[in-house]
Amino acid sequence: MEKMEKYKIAIFSGEIPPATFVNRLIIGLAERKVQLLLVGHLKKKVSYPFDNIKMVGYSGRISKLWLFLKYSFLLLLYKSKDKRKLDFWIDKNAKNKTLAKIRFYPILYFQPDIFHLQWVKSIADWVWVKEFNIKLVVSLRGSHINYTPICQPEFATIYKQYFPFVDGFHGVSANIIKEALKYNANSEKSKVVYSGLNLEKFTFTTNKIDSKPLQIISVGRSHWVKGYRYALDAMRILKENNIKFSYTIVGVEEEEELLFQRAQLDLQEEVVFEKTLPFQEVLERIKVANVLVLPSLEEGIANVVLEAMALGTLVVSTNCGGMSEVIQHQENGFLVPTRNPQEMAEAIVAIDKMIPEHYQNSARNARKKIEENHTEIKMIDDMLTLYTNVCESK
Amino acid sequence: MNQNSKQRIGLVLPNIPAYSETFFNSKIKGLQESGFEVVLFSKSKSNTKHPNCKTVFAPNFTVRPKLVIEVALIFWQCLIHFNKAFKLFQLNRKEGLSIKNAVKNSCINSYFFSYQLDWLHFGFGTMALKSEHVADAIHAKMAVSFRGFDMYIYPAKHPKCYDLLFSKKVKYHVLSNEMKLTLINYDILPEMICKITPAIDINLFKRVTNFPNNSVIQFITVSRLHWIKGLEYSLEAFSLFKNQNIPFHYTIVGDGVEKEKLMFAVHQLGLSENVTFTGKIAHDQVKSYMEKSNYYIQYSIQEGFCNAVLEAQAMGLLCIVSDADGLRENVLNEKTGWVVSKRDPIRLNEKITEVVNLTEKSKQEIRKNGQERVQKEFNLDKQKQGFKTFYTD
Repeated sequence: MEKMEKYKIAIFSGEIPPATFVNRLIIGLAERKVQLLLVGHLKKKVSYPFDNIKMVGYSGRISKLWLFLKYSFLLLLYKSKDKRKLDFWIDKNAKNKTLAKIRFYPILYFQPDIFHLQWVKSIADWVWVKEFNIKLVVSLRGSHINYTPICQPEFATIYKQYFPFVDGFHGVSANIIKEALKYNANSEKSKVVYSGLNLEKFTFTTNKIDSKPLQIISVGRSHWVKGYRYALDAMRILKENNIKFSYTIVGVEEEEELLFQRAQLDLQEEVVFEKTLPFQEVLERIKVANVLVLPSLEEGIANVVLEAMALGTLVVSTNCGGMSEVIQHQENGFLVPTRNPQEMAEAIVAIDKMIPEHYQNSARNARKKIEENHTEIKMIDDMLTLYTNVCESK
Repeated sequence: MNQNSKQRIGLVLPNIPAYSETFFNSKIKGLQESGFEVVLFSKSKSNTKHPNCKTVFAPNFTVRPKLVIEVALIFWQCLIHFNKAFKLFQLNRKEGLSIKNAVKNSCINSYFFSYQLDWLHFGFGTMALKSEHVADAIHAKMAVSFRGFDMYIYPAKHPKCYDLLFSKKVKYHVLSNEMKLTLINYDILPEMICKITPAIDINLFKRVTNFPNNSVIQFITVSRLHWIKGLEYSLEAFSLFKNQNIPFHYTIVGDGVEKEKLMFAVHQLGLSENVTFTGKIAHDQVKSYMEKSNYYIQYSIQEGFCNAVLEAQAMGLLCIVSDADGLRENVLNEKTGWVVSKRDPIRLNEKITEVVNLTEKSKQEIRKNGQERVQKEFNLDKQKQGFKTFYTD
């Protein structure tokens, strides 16, 4: 693994700073002395305490102009032939040629060994790296594979056309790799790298089992794929069965559909919608809850479930995407079919009726699962294995 | 009071009704035929006027080059109609608005000041918000129509939004008894609430072809692809129905923001072979789709009344609908169709199965009842008479 130090990896996620889970990967790789290049739209100032991370971020017009001029000049000076080749490609393929140059020039100038694309939907923009001996790795994450090519069939065509050029596929679950095979992904070039947590920051506790009413929580962005509508239907069933509970959804404060559903199902007393909270506060909320519900219609593997399992909160999750790779039904949590409020309600009732010992055993099993498969160390090790395989392949 | 013998009605709408929006167009036409003059006040950003009535546009602050002209116009309106502007300012101040907000309110409502109106009628409850005192200020009577979304959904996000409106003397128009009851629960006097149901062109929506004898049963829904239409629940019911191995096809006519979600549901529920989305199509094409269908499904979560269900009944389709608000009055359970409790795909599947298996004689009876009731109760003449009475009674 030490030889990775000599490789340069560019990580592109569109934005700097990237999403939490991409950030974990970046920090983990930097700690292993991998040379990293981050390119993207600079959303806010960010600094990493590593001198092996090079950041190229653009925001306003002036910074874009500066980057454009700087890297145009450097390329003219040191790689003019390559610049001409890339300009030709941009002229032929890019819709917004100037923006393409701002994003592409730094990559060409630094010429990493691997270009790692975090969001696969933009793969058509990045296949050019192959022409400059840069290996292309793509991450297969949630929505981009699970429903984008179904709801927007043009992406199915794009994936089928470009996946054969990819040198390495990082799947967030085994299931998502299976999905990607439908679009010409290569199973031999694919590796599951599970999302990992720094478990020192996730203290395991199960001392909340006596709290009444039952505290239920869901966490996630406001989007139909999260399936909150089914969770509210399940809460109505709980209410009809005289179960005392309080249900909080963090991340969906102003969602009209859910506000209306809550009113129509007479759940104003029991259900609370909360705006997106800082990460640490979310963890505190999960810690004190008895149940975390994941009502999603599709997922890669939901990070929030990993976090709940690490913290000692039992999970009721729909059996979608890769969720069955982490949850074993009635062993370390509950799996219920998607779009099935009745079974979701029954699983919550089962947790409500659990004796403390049973709850603690299940929660311990959940923690064990995370310790085995979802540590940050394992995630970085696995990702480095994928990078090494890619670099060593012809 | 309007100096002319004709009563003048100011109708306030968010947009100019498109050709296909039968409700407002037939209302405007009916009022004109009944001898009223209609002035349309619109907050539309496009300046396309209504073809058949005078159209006045609210100030549009989104077009920068026009900003100076708009501000000058507001100033001018407030100046030449100072009494009205000041009255509105006073009424708003009395209601506790700050001086700044009261001035602002007079400005944004200044486009009403030039017109002598007998009635100022807000086409949706939400349109009356921030204009609650305008009718008083211009010495007109005030009317408000509630149509579903404004009554049930908007207040879920904005509780107490109608407190001021409901404290005013207003005549209300609603689409169903259910909506009337809702208003009564807000302490509105029953005599101030008038139910006028939507109407359809029964000469257009009548069956000229024979009922189709499809080997593959054809179901249809005509609606925007919006969550209030409950289409995801319908698809879930059809995924259960599919287990019975009865050949069927379900056509969803319409377009909207939920298309991605519904396409995914079709895929995940294994209905790709059974469901078609036509997208938005012309009104006459809708009729042709209905002619080829056996059953109409409208499993909404919330519904003011629903013209498409009236059209389907007029066309002799067997209608299975949810019990959301006005739908219960649109379709009479077991007489002109079937009403199923909302948000319950298991129950919907059971009802679809039950209806499909009815004898042809029973189906024929329901069809006939539906057609006759729509022709008698929901024709344009009846609606026209209803609005005439609304303004003159």
